[in-house]
Amino acid sequence: MIPHAPRLAVEDLHARYRDREVLRGIRVRHSGGALVAVVGPNAAGKTTLLRCLAGLLRPTRGAVYLDDRPVHRLPARIRARRIAYVPQRPGLYAPYTVRETVALGRYAAGPDPSAVDTALAQTGLLELAGRRWSELSAGQQQRAVIARALAQLGGPGLLLLDEPTAALDLRHALDTLQVLRARTRSGTLVVATIHDLNLAAAFAQEIWLLDAGRLVYAGPADEALRPRRLEAVFQVGFQHRRCLVPVLPEI
Amino acid sequence: MPVHQDRGLATVNTAPQPRRWLALGALTLALLITALLRLTLDHPPGGGIGFAWPDPEWVRYRWTALANAVSAGGALGLAGLLLQSLLRNPLASPYVLGASSGAGLGIMVSLYLTHRMGGTALPPARATLPALAGSLGALGLVLGLATRRGGPDPVNLLLVGVVVSTLCGAGILFFQYLVPMGLRGEFLTWLMGHVPQATPPADLMLAASLPLAGLAFTLRMAGALDAGALSEEEARSIGVPVNALRLGGFLLAGLLTAGAVAVTGPIGFLGLIAPHLARGMAGPRHATAAPASLLAGAWLLVLADTASQLLDFGTGPMPPGVFTALAGGVLFLVLLHRTRSWTLDGM
Repeated sequence: MIPHAPRLAVEDLHARYRDREVLRGIRVRHSGGALVAVVGPNAAGKTTLLRCLAGLLRPTRGAVYLDDRPVHRLPARIRARRIAYVPQRPGLYAPYTVRETVALGRYAAGPDPSAVDTALAQTGLLELAGRRWSELSAGQQQRAVIARALAQLGGPGLLLLDEPTAALDLRHALDTLQVLRARTRSGTLVVATIHDLNLAAAFAQEIWLLDAGRLVYAGPADEALRPRRLEAVFQVGFQHRRCLVPVLPEI
Repeated sequence: MPVHQDRGLATVNTAPQPRRWLALGALTLALLITALLRLTLDHPPGGGIGFAWPDPEWVRYRWTALANAVSAGGALGLAGLLLQSLLRNPLASPYVLGASSGAGLGIMVSLYLTHRMGGTALPPARATLPALAGSLGALGLVLGLATRRGGPDPVNLLLVGVVVSTLCGAGILFFQYLVPMGLRGEFLTWLMGHVPQATPPADLMLAASLPLAGLAFTLRMAGALDAGALSEEEARSIGVPVNALRLGGFLLAGLLTAGAVAVTGPIGFLGLIAPHLARGMAGPRHATAAPASLLAGAWLLVLADTASQLLDFGTGPMPPGVFTALAGGVLFLVLLHRTRSWTLDGM
Protein backbone atom coordinates (compact mmCIF):
# COMPACT_ATOMS: atom_id res chain seq x y z
CA MET A 1 0.00 0.00 0.00
CA ILE A 2 1.45 3.35 -1.02
CA PRO A 3 1.36 5.75 1.94
CA HIS A 4 -0.88 8.70 1.23
CA ALA A 5 -2.34 11.59 3.13
CA PRO A 6 -5.34 10.48 5.20
CA ARG A 7 -8.92 11.25 4.28
CA LEU A 8 -10.91 11.69 7.48
CA ALA A 9 -14.70 11.84 7.54
CA VAL A 10 -16.75 12.02 10.74
CA GLU A 11 -20.40 11.29 10.05
CA ASP A 12 -23.15 12.02 12.58
CA LEU A 13 -20.92 10.83 15.44
CA HIS A 14 -22.65 10.07 18.73
CA ALA A 15 -20.89 8.59 21.76
CA ARG A 16 -21.97 7.98 25.33
CA TYR A 17 -20.60 6.71 28.63
CA ARG A 18 -23.39 4.71 30.26
CA ASP A 19 -26.41 7.02 30.25
CA ARG A 20 -24.50 10.24 29.58
CA GLU A 21 -24.35 11.32 25.96
CA VAL A 22 -20.98 12.98 25.34
CA LEU A 23 -20.93 13.52 21.58
CA ARG A 24 -24.10 14.57 19.79
CA GLY A 25 -23.93 14.36 16.05
CA ILE A 26 -20.45 15.55 15.06
CA ARG A 27 -19.92 15.95 11.31
CA VAL A 28 -16.59 17.07 9.92
CA ARG A 29 -14.27 16.13 7.08
CA HIS A 30 -10.62 16.75 6.40
CA SER A 31 -8.18 15.51 3.79
CA GLY A 32 -4.43 15.92 3.67
CA GLY A 33 -1.83 17.18 6.09
CA ALA A 34 -2.77 19.89 8.56
CA LEU A 35 -2.69 20.68 12.26
CA VAL A 36 -6.20 20.80 13.67
CA ALA A 37 -6.68 22.10 17.21
CA VAL A 38 -9.74 20.85 19.07
CA VAL A 39 -10.74 23.48 21.61
CA GLY A 40 -13.60 23.80 24.02
CA PRO A 41 -14.42 23.98 27.71
CA ASN A 42 -14.02 21.06 30.11
CA ALA A 43 -16.38 18.15 29.45
CA ALA A 44 -17.15 19.41 25.94
CA GLY A 45 -16.26 15.97 24.55
CA LYS A 46 -12.76 16.67 23.21
CA THR A 47 -11.13 13.52 24.63
CA THR A 48 -14.11 11.39 23.64
CA LEU A 49 -13.89 12.72 20.09
CA LEU A 50 -10.19 11.82 19.96
CA ARG A 51 -10.88 8.31 21.31
CA CYS A 52 -13.53 7.82 18.62
CA LEU A 53 -11.16 9.09 15.92
CA ALA A 54 -8.54 6.62 17.23
CA GLY A 55 -11.00 3.73 16.97
CA LEU A 56 -10.69 3.10 20.72
CA LEU A 57 -14.31 3.97 21.50
CA ARG A 58 -17.19 2.56 19.49
CA PRO A 59 -19.71 5.25 18.53
CA THR A 60 -23.31 4.74 19.61
CA ARG A 61 -24.41 6.20 16.28
CA GLY A 62 -22.60 7.38 13.16
CA ALA A 63 -18.99 6.53 12.41
CA VAL A 64 -15.49 7.81 11.79
CA TYR A 65 -14.11 6.91 8.37
CA LEU A 66 -10.44 6.92 7.47
CA ASP A 67 -9.87 6.51 3.75
CA ASP A 68 -13.54 5.48 3.49
CA ARG A 69 -13.25 2.65 6.06
CA PRO A 70 -14.85 2.86 9.54
CA VAL A 71 -11.96 3.03 12.00
CA HIS A 72 -13.59 1.01 14.79
CA ARG A 73 -13.83 -1.97 12.43
CA LEU A 74 -10.18 -1.85 11.28
CA PRO A 75 -7.99 -4.70 12.62
CA ALA A 76 -5.76 -3.39 15.44
CA ARG A 77 -2.47 -3.77 13.55
CA ILE A 78 -3.71 -2.14 10.36
CA ARG A 79 -5.27 0.70 12.32
CA ALA A 80 -2.03 1.25 14.26
CA ARG A 81 -0.07 1.77 11.04
CA ARG A 82 -2.33 4.68 10.06
CA ILE A 83 -3.46 6.15 13.39
CA ALA A 84 -1.30 7.04 16.41
CA TYR A 85 -2.80 8.23 19.69
CA VAL A 86 -1.24 10.10 22.59
CA PRO A 87 -3.44 10.00 25.72
CA GLN A 88 -3.57 12.70 28.32
CA ARG A 89 -2.25 10.41 31.06
CA PRO A 90 0.17 7.79 29.77
CA GLY A 91 0.88 4.68 31.82
CA LEU A 92 3.71 2.20 31.77
CA TYR A 93 3.99 -0.73 34.17
CA ALA A 94 7.46 -2.05 33.39
CA PRO A 95 10.94 -0.62 33.96
CA TYR A 96 11.66 0.08 30.28
CA THR A 97 14.15 2.65 29.12
CA VAL A 98 12.97 5.67 27.15
CA ARG A 99 14.31 4.10 23.94
CA GLU A 100 12.48 0.83 24.62
CA THR A 101 9.29 2.77 25.33
CA VAL A 102 9.55 4.75 22.09
CA ALA A 103 10.38 1.56 20.17
CA LEU A 104 7.04 0.07 21.31
CA GLY A 105 5.47 2.40 18.77
CA ARG A 106 6.89 0.15 16.05
CA TYR A 107 4.89 -2.85 17.33
CA ALA A 108 2.55 -2.97 14.34
CA ALA A 109 4.80 -1.75 11.55
CA GLY A 110 7.97 -3.60 12.55
CA PRO A 111 11.27 -2.49 14.14
CA ASP A 112 12.84 0.66 12.70
CA PRO A 113 15.72 1.99 14.84
CA SER A 114 16.19 5.03 12.61
CA ALA A 115 12.52 6.06 13.04
CA VAL A 116 12.99 5.67 16.81
CA ASP A 117 16.18 7.75 16.76
CA THR A 118 14.55 10.45 14.67
CA ALA A 119 11.55 10.62 17.01
CA LEU A 120 13.84 10.78 20.07
CA ALA A 121 15.83 13.60 18.44
CA GLN A 122 12.69 15.51 17.44
CA THR A 123 11.39 15.46 21.00
CA GLY A 124 14.77 16.28 22.56
CA LEU A 125 15.07 12.93 24.33
CA LEU A 126 18.22 11.46 22.78
CA GLU A 127 20.25 12.27 25.86
CA LEU A 128 17.69 10.51 28.05
CA ALA A 129 17.24 7.48 25.75
CA GLY A 130 18.92 5.08 28.18
CA ARG A 131 17.13 6.34 31.25
CA ARG A 132 14.24 4.48 32.84
CA TRP A 133 10.75 5.74 32.11
CA SER A 134 9.97 6.03 35.83
CA GLU A 135 12.92 8.39 36.30
CA LEU A 136 11.45 10.97 33.90
CA SER A 137 9.45 14.04 34.90
CA ALA A 138 5.81 14.26 33.79
CA GLY A 139 6.79 16.57 30.95
CA GLN A 140 9.57 14.25 29.77
CA GLN A 141 7.15 11.30 29.89
CA GLN A 142 4.72 13.26 27.77
CA ARG A 143 7.46 13.97 25.22
CA ALA A 144 8.40 10.28 25.23
CA VAL A 145 4.82 9.29 24.41
CA ILE A 146 4.75 11.88 21.62
CA ALA A 147 8.04 10.40 20.35
CA ARG A 148 6.45 6.94 20.39
CA ALA A 149 3.54 8.21 18.30
CA LEU A 150 5.93 9.91 15.84
CA ALA A 151 7.90 6.65 15.50
CA GLN A 152 4.66 4.68 15.10
CA LEU A 153 3.62 6.45 11.91
CA GLY A 154 6.36 5.75 9.42
CA GLY A 155 4.61 7.76 6.69
CA PRO A 156 1.64 10.07 6.57
CA GLY A 157 -1.24 9.16 8.83
CA LEU A 158 -3.61 10.43 11.47
CA LEU A 159 -1.83 11.64 14.61
CA LEU A 160 -4.14 12.26 17.57
CA LEU A 161 -2.90 13.98 20.72
CA ASP A 162 -4.87 14.70 23.89
CA GLU A 163 -3.43 17.80 25.54
CA PRO A 164 0.11 17.23 24.22
CA THR A 165 1.42 20.44 25.77
CA ALA A 166 -0.33 20.22 29.16
CA ALA A 167 2.74 19.08 31.13
CA LEU A 168 5.32 20.94 29.04
CA ASP A 169 7.15 24.16 29.79
CA LEU A 170 6.81 26.92 27.22
CA ARG A 171 9.94 26.07 25.24
CA HIS A 172 9.08 22.40 24.95
CA ALA A 173 5.45 23.21 24.18
CA LEU A 174 6.54 25.45 21.30
CA ASP A 175 9.10 22.92 20.09
CA THR A 176 6.55 20.10 20.22
CA LEU A 177 3.96 22.03 18.26
CA GLN A 178 6.64 22.98 15.76
CA VAL A 179 7.55 19.30 15.29
CA LEU A 180 3.88 18.42 14.85
CA ARG A 181 3.41 21.23 12.38
CA ALA A 182 6.48 20.07 10.44
CA ARG A 183 5.01 16.57 10.33
CA THR A 184 1.91 17.88 8.54
CA ARG A 185 4.04 18.83 5.53
CA SER A 186 4.58 15.16 4.73
CA GLY A 187 0.83 14.59 4.67
CA THR A 188 0.07 13.73 8.30
CA LEU A 189 -3.19 15.02 9.70
CA VAL A 190 -2.55 16.06 13.31
CA VAL A 191 -5.60 16.51 15.54
CA ALA A 192 -4.72 17.80 19.01
CA THR A 193 -6.79 19.06 21.90
CA ILE A 194 -5.22 22.30 23.12
CA HIS A 195 -6.45 24.37 26.04
CA ASP A 196 -4.19 27.34 25.39
CA LEU A 197 -6.06 29.33 22.77
CA ASN A 198 -3.02 31.47 21.94
CA LEU A 199 -0.94 28.37 21.16
CA ALA A 200 -3.83 26.99 19.13
CA ALA A 201 -4.10 30.23 17.20
CA ALA A 202 -0.37 30.34 16.55
CA PHE A 203 0.09 26.78 15.30
CA ALA A 204 -3.20 25.32 14.10
CA GLN A 205 -4.35 25.73 10.52
CA GLU A 206 -7.84 24.69 11.46
CA ILE A 207 -9.83 24.79 14.67
CA TRP A 208 -12.70 22.56 15.75
CA LEU A 209 -14.65 24.27 18.51
CA LEU A 210 -16.63 21.87 20.67
CA ASP A 211 -19.34 22.75 23.15
CA ALA A 212 -21.45 20.24 25.09
CA GLY A 213 -20.77 17.45 22.62
CA ARG A 214 -21.56 19.50 19.52
CA LEU A 215 -19.17 20.91 16.94
CA VAL A 216 -20.05 24.60 16.88
CA TYR A 217 -17.30 25.62 14.48
CA ALA A 218 -14.81 23.93 12.17
CA GLY A 219 -12.68 26.11 9.97
CA PRO A 220 -9.63 28.38 9.71
CA ALA A 221 -8.04 29.35 13.01
CA ASP A 222 -8.31 33.12 12.60
CA GLU A 223 -12.03 32.83 11.96
CA ALA A 224 -12.57 30.50 14.91
CA LEU A 225 -11.05 32.58 17.66
CA ARG A 226 -13.35 35.57 17.51
CA PRO A 227 -14.29 37.00 20.91
CA ARG A 228 -18.04 36.67 20.41
CA ARG A 229 -17.79 33.04 19.31
CA LEU A 230 -15.49 32.15 22.21
CA GLU A 231 -17.60 34.02 24.78
CA ALA A 232 -20.63 31.94 23.81
CA VAL A 233 -18.71 28.72 24.37
CA PHE A 234 -16.42 29.50 27.32
CA GLN A 235 -18.79 31.88 29.20
CA VAL A 236 -16.04 34.47 29.83
CA GLY A 237 -15.18 37.75 28.16
CA PHE A 238 -12.43 37.92 25.52
CA GLN A 239 -10.56 40.86 24.06
CA HIS A 240 -7.50 41.41 21.90
CA ARG A 241 -4.80 43.36 23.76
CA ARG A 242 -1.10 43.82 23.90
CA CYS A 243 0.66 41.64 26.43
CA LEU A 244 3.95 39.82 26.92
CA VAL A 245 4.07 36.81 24.60
CA PRO A 246 6.98 34.55 23.60
CA VAL A 247 8.48 34.99 20.17
CA LEU A 248 6.88 32.25 18.14
CA PRO A 249 8.96 30.33 15.65
CA GLU A 250 8.27 30.94 11.99
CA ILE A 251 5.93 28.34 10.63
CA MET B 1 14.25 20.24 20.79
CA PRO B 2 15.17 19.61 17.17
CA VAL B 3 17.56 22.51 17.06
CA HIS B 4 19.19 21.75 20.42
CA GLN B 5 20.04 18.16 19.72
CA ASP B 6 23.40 16.70 18.96
CA ARG B 7 23.15 13.33 17.21
CA GLY B 8 26.48 12.42 18.75
CA LEU B 9 24.70 11.84 22.04
CA ALA B 10 22.61 9.05 20.51
CA THR B 11 24.94 6.37 21.85
CA VAL B 12 23.27 6.26 25.26
CA ASN B 13 21.38 3.00 25.45
CA THR B 14 21.76 1.10 28.66
CA ALA B 15 19.62 -1.91 27.63
CA PRO B 16 22.15 -4.54 28.69
CA GLN B 17 21.30 -7.25 26.17
CA PRO B 18 24.38 -9.45 26.82
CA ARG B 19 23.70 -9.29 30.57
CA ARG B 20 20.21 -10.67 29.96
CA TRP B 21 21.55 -13.72 28.14
CA LEU B 22 24.20 -14.09 30.83
CA ALA B 23 21.37 -14.21 33.39
CA LEU B 24 19.81 -17.15 31.53
CA GLY B 25 23.18 -18.90 31.65
CA ALA B 26 23.52 -18.23 35.38
CA LEU B 27 20.03 -19.61 36.09
CA THR B 28 20.73 -22.70 33.98
CA LEU B 29 23.97 -23.26 35.86
CA ALA B 30 22.21 -22.82 39.22
CA LEU B 31 19.56 -25.34 38.13
CA LEU B 32 22.20 -27.85 37.00
CA ILE B 33 24.20 -27.56 40.22
CA THR B 34 21.09 -27.87 42.39
CA ALA B 35 19.88 -30.81 40.29
CA LEU B 36 23.21 -32.52 40.85
CA LEU B 37 22.83 -31.90 44.59
CA ARG B 38 19.32 -33.38 44.52
CA LEU B 39 20.56 -36.45 42.68
CA THR B 40 23.52 -37.09 44.92
CA LEU B 41 22.37 -35.84 48.32
CA ASP B 42 22.31 -38.69 50.77
CA HIS B 43 20.55 -38.09 54.06
CA PRO B 44 19.41 -41.34 55.63
CA PRO B 45 16.98 -40.99 58.57
CA GLY B 46 19.01 -40.44 61.72
CA GLY B 47 22.25 -40.32 59.69
CA GLY B 48 24.50 -37.50 58.52
CA ILE B 49 24.66 -35.70 55.18
CA GLY B 50 26.71 -37.14 52.35
CA PHE B 51 27.00 -36.95 48.60
CA ALA B 52 27.14 -40.08 46.50
CA TRP B 53 25.73 -41.27 43.22
CA PRO B 54 22.73 -43.37 44.27
CA ASP B 55 22.31 -47.08 43.66
CA PRO B 56 20.78 -47.98 40.29
CA GLU B 57 17.53 -48.98 41.98
CA TRP B 58 17.27 -45.57 43.65
CA VAL B 59 18.50 -43.34 40.86
CA ARG B 60 15.27 -43.70 38.86
CA TYR B 61 13.25 -42.24 41.75
CA ARG B 62 15.57 -39.27 42.06
CA TRP B 63 15.50 -38.60 38.32
CA THR B 64 11.71 -38.77 38.45
CA ALA B 65 11.54 -36.33 41.39
CA LEU B 66 13.93 -34.03 39.56
CA ALA B 67 11.90 -34.15 36.32
CA ASN B 68 8.67 -33.48 38.23
CA ALA B 69 10.20 -30.56 40.14
CA VAL B 70 11.65 -29.00 36.97
CA SER B 71 8.34 -29.38 35.07
CA ALA B 72 6.05 -28.16 37.82
CA GLY B 73 8.38 -25.36 38.99
CA GLY B 74 8.97 -24.18 35.43
CA ALA B 75 5.24 -24.19 34.69
CA LEU B 76 4.44 -22.20 37.85
CA GLY B 77 7.21 -19.67 37.16
CA LEU B 78 5.93 -19.09 33.65
CA ALA B 79 2.29 -18.92 34.78
CA GLY B 80 3.29 -16.31 37.38
CA LEU B 81 5.07 -14.18 34.77
CA LEU B 82 2.04 -14.31 32.46
CA LEU B 83 -0.37 -13.30 35.23
CA GLN B 84 1.86 -10.49 36.51
CA SER B 85 2.35 -9.12 32.98
CA LEU B 86 -1.25 -9.42 31.82
CA LEU B 87 -2.65 -7.89 35.00
CA ARG B 88 0.20 -5.35 35.35
CA ASN B 89 0.33 -6.43 38.97
CA PRO B 90 3.58 -7.46 40.70
CA LEU B 91 1.70 -9.41 43.37
CA ALA B 92 -0.29 -11.60 40.98
CA SER B 93 0.49 -15.32 40.96
CA PRO B 94 -1.39 -18.59 40.39
CA TYR B 95 -1.53 -19.13 44.17
CA VAL B 96 -2.66 -15.64 45.16
CA LEU B 97 -5.29 -15.46 42.38
CA GLY B 98 -6.89 -18.74 43.33
CA ALA B 99 -5.77 -20.70 40.24
CA SER B 100 -3.76 -23.18 42.33
CA SER B 101 -6.55 -23.75 44.85
CA GLY B 102 -9.08 -23.95 42.01
CA ALA B 103 -6.98 -26.63 40.32
CA GLY B 104 -6.69 -28.39 43.68
CA LEU B 105 -10.46 -28.31 44.14
CA GLY B 106 -10.96 -29.68 40.61
CA ILE B 107 -8.65 -32.58 41.38
CA MET B 108 -10.22 -33.18 44.78
CA VAL B 109 -13.73 -33.31 43.27
CA SER B 110 -12.58 -35.78 40.61
CA LEU B 111 -10.74 -37.85 43.25
CA TYR B 112 -13.93 -37.97 45.28
CA LEU B 113 -16.03 -38.96 42.26
CA THR B 114 -13.47 -41.60 41.26
CA HIS B 115 -13.59 -42.96 44.78
CA ARG B 116 -17.44 -42.99 44.74
CA MET B 117 -17.37 -44.97 41.53
CA GLY B 118 -15.06 -47.49 43.11
CA GLY B 119 -11.81 -46.33 41.48
CA THR B 120 -8.48 -45.57 43.06
CA ALA B 121 -6.41 -42.37 43.00
CA LEU B 122 -6.11 -40.50 39.71
CA PRO B 123 -2.81 -40.53 37.84
CA PRO B 124 -1.56 -37.01 37.02
CA ALA B 125 -2.39 -37.33 33.32
CA ARG B 126 -6.05 -37.84 34.14
CA ALA B 127 -5.94 -35.21 36.89
CA THR B 128 -4.90 -32.46 34.46
CA LEU B 129 -8.38 -31.96 32.99
CA PRO B 130 -10.24 -31.48 36.28
CA ALA B 131 -7.31 -29.33 37.47
CA LEU B 132 -7.65 -27.20 34.34
CA ALA B 133 -11.38 -26.80 34.85
CA GLY B 134 -10.85 -25.76 38.46
CA SER B 135 -7.94 -23.46 37.66
CA LEU B 136 -9.69 -21.63 34.82
CA GLY B 137 -12.94 -21.51 36.77
CA ALA B 138 -11.27 -19.86 39.77
CA LEU B 139 -9.24 -17.48 37.58
CA GLY B 140 -12.34 -16.53 35.58
CA LEU B 141 -14.31 -15.92 38.76
CA VAL B 142 -11.55 -13.73 40.25
CA LEU B 143 -11.15 -11.71 37.05
CA GLY B 144 -14.89 -11.34 36.60
CA LEU B 145 -15.50 -10.15 40.15
CA ALA B 146 -12.44 -7.87 40.31
CA THR B 147 -13.02 -6.12 36.99
CA ARG B 148 -14.24 -2.59 37.10
CA ARG B 149 -14.61 -0.19 34.18
CA GLY B 150 -11.50 -0.38 32.04
CA GLY B 151 -9.99 -3.59 33.42
CA PRO B 152 -9.19 -5.55 36.56
CA ASP B 153 -8.54 -3.34 39.57
CA PRO B 154 -5.22 -4.40 41.19
CA VAL B 155 -6.36 -4.17 44.81
CA ASN B 156 -9.73 -5.81 44.12
CA LEU B 157 -7.92 -8.55 42.26
CA LEU B 158 -5.89 -9.55 45.28
CA LEU B 159 -8.82 -9.28 47.68
CA VAL B 160 -11.12 -11.35 45.48
CA GLY B 161 -8.24 -13.76 44.82
CA VAL B 162 -7.76 -14.34 48.53
CA VAL B 163 -11.50 -14.94 49.02
CA VAL B 164 -11.83 -17.34 46.05
CA SER B 165 -8.64 -19.11 47.14
CA THR B 166 -10.04 -19.54 50.64
CA LEU B 167 -13.38 -20.80 49.26
CA CYS B 168 -11.58 -23.34 47.07
CA GLY B 169 -9.50 -24.36 50.10
CA ALA B 170 -12.72 -24.88 52.06
CA GLY B 171 -14.08 -26.93 49.17
CA ILE B 172 -10.96 -29.10 49.22
CA LEU B 173 -11.41 -29.70 52.95
CA PHE B 174 -15.11 -30.49 52.43
CA PHE B 175 -14.38 -33.16 49.83
CA GLN B 176 -11.61 -34.50 51.99
CA TYR B 177 -14.13 -34.85 54.77
CA LEU B 178 -16.39 -36.84 52.42
CA VAL B 179 -13.79 -39.53 51.68
CA PRO B 180 -13.06 -42.36 54.13
CA MET B 181 -10.46 -41.76 56.84
CA GLY B 182 -8.02 -44.21 55.25
CA LEU B 183 -7.78 -42.17 52.02
CA ARG B 184 -7.33 -38.80 53.69
CA GLY B 185 -3.63 -39.24 54.40
CA GLU B 186 -2.87 -39.67 50.69
CA PHE B 187 -4.84 -36.52 49.85
CA LEU B 188 -3.18 -34.59 52.64
CA THR B 189 0.32 -35.37 51.31
CA TRP B 190 -0.77 -34.10 47.91
CA LEU B 191 -2.43 -31.07 49.50
CA MET B 192 0.78 -30.04 51.26
CA GLY B 193 2.61 -29.81 47.93
CA HIS B 194 5.00 -32.65 47.30
CA VAL B 195 7.33 -33.74 44.52
CA PRO B 196 6.43 -37.33 43.58
CA GLN B 197 9.28 -39.76 43.07
CA ALA B 198 7.30 -42.37 41.20
CA THR B 199 5.46 -41.27 38.06
CA PRO B 200 4.76 -43.29 34.91
CA PRO B 201 6.94 -42.17 31.94
CA ALA B 202 3.90 -41.08 29.89
CA ASP B 203 2.78 -38.74 32.70
CA LEU B 204 6.32 -37.41 33.04
CA MET B 205 6.39 -36.62 29.31
CA LEU B 206 3.04 -34.82 29.56
CA ALA B 207 4.18 -32.83 32.61
CA ALA B 208 7.42 -31.85 30.88
CA SER B 209 5.79 -30.91 27.59
CA LEU B 210 3.44 -28.37 29.21
CA PRO B 211 6.05 -25.79 30.29
CA LEU B 212 7.95 -26.24 27.02
CA ALA B 213 4.81 -25.65 24.95
CA GLY B 214 3.95 -22.78 27.31
CA LEU B 215 7.37 -21.24 26.73
CA ALA B 216 6.96 -21.52 22.95
CA PHE B 217 3.57 -19.77 23.12
CA THR B 218 4.89 -17.10 25.51
CA LEU B 219 7.83 -16.37 23.21
CA ARG B 220 5.39 -16.04 20.30
CA MET B 221 3.44 -13.49 22.34
CA ALA B 222 6.59 -11.79 23.70
CA GLY B 223 6.25 -8.61 21.63
CA ALA B 224 2.59 -8.19 22.55
CA LEU B 225 3.31 -8.91 26.23
CA ASP B 226 6.10 -6.30 26.17
CA ALA B 227 3.74 -3.74 24.66
CA GLY B 228 1.01 -4.84 27.08
CA ALA B 229 2.94 -3.04 29.83
CA LEU B 230 1.43 0.17 28.49
CA SER B 231 -1.98 1.33 29.70
CA GLU B 232 -4.71 -0.65 27.97
CA GLU B 233 -5.74 2.20 25.70
CA GLU B 234 -2.16 2.88 24.62
CA ALA B 235 -1.52 -0.81 24.00
CA ARG B 236 -4.59 -0.97 21.78
CA SER B 237 -3.58 2.20 19.96
CA ILE B 238 -0.20 0.76 18.95
CA GLY B 239 -1.90 -2.33 17.57
CA VAL B 240 -1.85 -4.87 20.42
CA PRO B 241 -4.94 -7.11 20.26
CA VAL B 242 -5.45 -6.70 24.01
CA ASN B 243 -8.53 -8.90 24.41
CA ALA B 244 -7.04 -11.80 22.44
CA LEU B 245 -3.76 -11.45 24.34
CA ARG B 246 -5.53 -11.55 27.71
CA LEU B 247 -7.69 -14.52 26.75
CA GLY B 248 -4.74 -16.48 25.36
CA GLY B 249 -2.50 -15.54 28.28
CA PHE B 250 -5.02 -16.47 30.97
CA LEU B 251 -5.82 -19.77 29.27
CA LEU B 252 -2.12 -20.55 29.08
CA ALA B 253 -1.51 -19.53 32.72
CA GLY B 254 -4.48 -21.66 33.79
CA LEU B 255 -3.22 -24.65 31.81
CA LEU B 256 0.31 -24.34 33.19
CA THR B 257 -0.99 -24.05 36.76
CA ALA B 258 -3.30 -27.03 36.25
CA GLY B 259 -0.46 -29.15 34.85
CA ALA B 260 1.78 -28.26 37.79
CA VAL B 261 -0.87 -28.76 40.48
CA ALA B 262 -1.85 -32.13 38.96
CA VAL B 263 1.73 -33.29 39.55
CA THR B 264 2.73 -31.67 42.84
CA GLY B 265 -0.41 -30.30 44.47
CA PRO B 266 -0.57 -26.60 45.32
CA ILE B 267 2.94 -25.16 45.68
CA GLY B 268 2.64 -21.79 47.37
CA PHE B 269 4.25 -18.54 46.21
CA LEU B 270 6.65 -20.10 43.71
CA GLY B 271 4.76 -18.47 40.84
CA LEU B 272 5.07 -15.15 42.63
CA ILE B 273 8.77 -15.19 43.43
CA ALA B 274 10.19 -16.80 40.27
CA PRO B 275 9.11 -14.00 37.87
CA HIS B 276 10.56 -11.35 40.19
CA LEU B 277 13.87 -13.18 40.33
CA ALA B 278 13.76 -13.67 36.55
CA ARG B 279 12.98 -10.05 35.70
CA GLY B 280 15.57 -8.82 38.18
CA MET B 281 18.23 -10.88 36.45
CA ALA B 282 17.12 -10.99 32.80
CA GLY B 283 15.25 -7.71 32.43
CA PRO B 284 11.57 -7.00 31.81
CA ARG B 285 11.43 -8.00 28.11
CA HIS B 286 9.58 -11.28 27.68
CA ALA B 287 12.00 -12.76 25.14
CA THR B 288 14.39 -13.25 28.07
CA ALA B 289 12.07 -12.91 31.08
CA ALA B 290 9.95 -15.91 29.95
CA PRO B 291 12.76 -18.49 29.73
CA ALA B 292 14.27 -16.94 32.87
CA SER B 293 10.96 -17.35 34.77
CA LEU B 294 10.75 -20.98 33.68
CA LEU B 295 14.34 -21.61 34.77
CA ALA B 296 13.89 -19.70 38.04
CA GLY B 297 10.69 -21.61 38.88
CA ALA B 298 12.36 -24.94 38.07
CA TRP B 299 15.43 -24.03 40.09
CA LEU B 300 13.43 -22.85 43.12
CA LEU B 301 11.34 -26.02 43.26
CA VAL B 302 14.39 -28.28 42.86
CA LEU B 303 16.06 -26.22 45.58
CA ALA B 304 13.00 -26.51 47.84
CA ASP B 305 12.79 -30.24 47.17
CA THR B 306 16.50 -30.65 47.96
CA ALA B 307 16.23 -28.56 51.12
CA SER B 308 13.14 -30.49 52.19
CA GLN B 309 15.17 -33.72 52.06
CA LEU B 310 17.27 -32.24 54.87
CA LEU B 311 14.32 -30.98 56.89
CA ASP B 312 13.19 -34.05 58.72
CA PHE B 313 11.60 -33.75 62.14
CA GLY B 314 11.29 -37.49 62.57
CA THR B 315 8.22 -37.74 60.33
CA GLY B 316 9.98 -37.91 56.97
CA PRO B 317 11.21 -35.13 54.71
CA MET B 318 9.16 -31.95 54.96
CA PRO B 319 6.95 -31.52 51.86
CA PRO B 320 8.48 -28.80 49.64
CA GLY B 321 5.07 -27.11 49.45
CA VAL B 322 5.27 -26.34 53.17
CA PHE B 323 8.78 -25.00 52.70
CA THR B 324 7.88 -22.73 49.73
CA ALA B 325 4.71 -21.50 51.43
CA LEU B 326 6.70 -20.49 54.52
CA ALA B 327 9.59 -18.88 52.66
CA GLY B 328 7.38 -17.42 49.92
CA GLY B 329 4.88 -16.02 52.39
CA VAL B 330 7.60 -13.97 54.07
CA LEU B 331 8.86 -12.76 50.68
CA PHE B 332 5.30 -11.86 49.68
CA LEU B 333 5.03 -9.62 52.74
CA VAL B 334 8.33 -7.97 51.83
CA LEU B 335 7.10 -7.36 48.26
CA LEU B 336 3.79 -6.03 49.56
CA HIS B 337 5.66 -3.63 51.80
CA ARG B 338 7.89 -2.48 48.95
CA THR B 339 5.07 -2.11 46.43
CA ARG B 340 4.36 1.57 46.33
CA SER B 341 2.89 2.12 42.92
CA TRP B 342 1.38 -1.20 41.85
CA THR B 343 3.68 -1.48 38.88
CA LEU B 344 6.27 -4.03 37.84
CA ASP B 345 8.86 -1.29 38.22
CA GLY B 346 11.26 -0.94 41.09
CA MET B 347 10.52 -4.33 42.57
